[in-house]
Amino acid sequence: MPRLGELERSVMNVLWDAAAPLTVREVLDALGERDLAYTTIMTVLDRLGGKEMVRRERDGRAFRYAPALTRDAATSELLHAALDEAGADRTAALVHFARTVDPAEAQALRAALDEIESRTSQ
Amino acid sequence: MTPVLLGLIGLALALPVPALLARASWPFRSPAAGVVLWQSLALAAVLAISGAALSTALWLVTHDRLTWWRVALHLTILAIGVLVWARFWWAAWHVWHETATRRRRHRELVDLLGEPHGALPAVRILAEQTPVAYCIPRRRDARVVISRGTVEALDDASLQAVLEHERAHVRIRHDLVLEAFGVLHRAFPRPLRTDAPLRQSQVLVELMADDAARKVTGDGPLARAIVALAGGVTPAGALGAGSAAQVRLDRLCDDTPHRWWPAALSLTISAVVLVAPTVLLAVPWMLHAWHTLTT
Repeated sequence: MPRLGELERSVMNVLWDAAAPLTVREVLDALGERDLAYTTIMTVLDRLGGKEMVRRERDGRAFRYAPALTRDAATSELLHAALDEAGADRTAALVHFARTVDPAEAQALRAALDEIESRTSQ
Repeated sequence: MTPVLLGLIGLALALPVPALLARASWPFRSPAAGVVLWQSLALAAVLAISGAALSTALWLVTHDRLTWWRVALHLTILAIGVLVWARFWWAAWHVWHETATRRRRHRELVDLLGEPHGALPAVRILAEQTPVAYCIPRRRDARVVISRGTVEALDDASLQAVLEHERAHVRIRHDLVLEAFGVLHRAFPRPLRTDAPLRQSQVLVELMADDAARKVTGDGPLARAIVALAGGVTPAGALGAGSAAQVRLDRLCDDTPHRWWPAALSLTISAVVLVAPTVLLAVPWMLHAWHTLTT
């Protein structure tokens, strides 16, 4: 469901930009002009809660929602996982296009590239 | 005689053969056959060692006179066998579960932080300058992740080569190959374990994805992409010798015509190592059975 995924991203951005925890109504208002149902936003917040991205706290008779981690923390968790190349014992959860090389190797790679480029440009 | 022979074959397939094969460069010339070869070696080693244990256990109790120590030894060997099998499946489950959990979490983060690519639904672009390009495999809904830095570092053709490469990983389910070797790597008893099968299959899988990409974009853009993305970042830590990037570029440089023999050699060795232990185990047993039936 691409639309729901897209909505999750928008809702998360609203929560990240907010100074304090928001109610469902406040999230709906912040999303603006779109004709979204109140229950849709509740579903999205539930889903985000299931993914441990959003915390729910009781405020009187309503619930307020806050990000479980800041945008910076989420970004650094993502980058850490993406760039963590240590540990040959770990299985490849992510399949990288290229891994980093040391300077000597980088030079050897450039030399090989020149050879390929000169051949293909002939 | 059979148990000893099987044991020796098993040990050879577990240690010296992978070490020797890891130094050869010919399997890189036909990566798909190379993957089959490494899978066969691993499977054959497991079969031979299991066969050695099983035939020893059976030999102990098929003697004319059963003594208590024969029965005790028989039961001990069977118990160890059961333990090794249990450990293997436990490791398999553990690797699968851990990988799936890490992938799911990563995919959720990417979906929240990455910008969808207009034309390609599986692609997400991260607002980061560090050039990264990778895929998060999954049966449905896999993700290909690139960063702004990657988009800026590459020309259009090279970017296309990267995307084709990643899509090939996703399409041909290379993660299954890597997971299988990950399981074997963890499940093998430590004294019998080498890094070679896992490392080599990682490289071979890259070569297969490269072949898919160069069919679309040609060699030049792919080579430029490999160099741009491998050299752009400062090394995060100590890295093993013989990087995949070098092997991949060497392969793109190599303009000798495609030869049939590397594939044929890989497949022949695969067949031999798989069939030999089975024949060694099966034939004496069939002869034995025939002998018992006819007398």
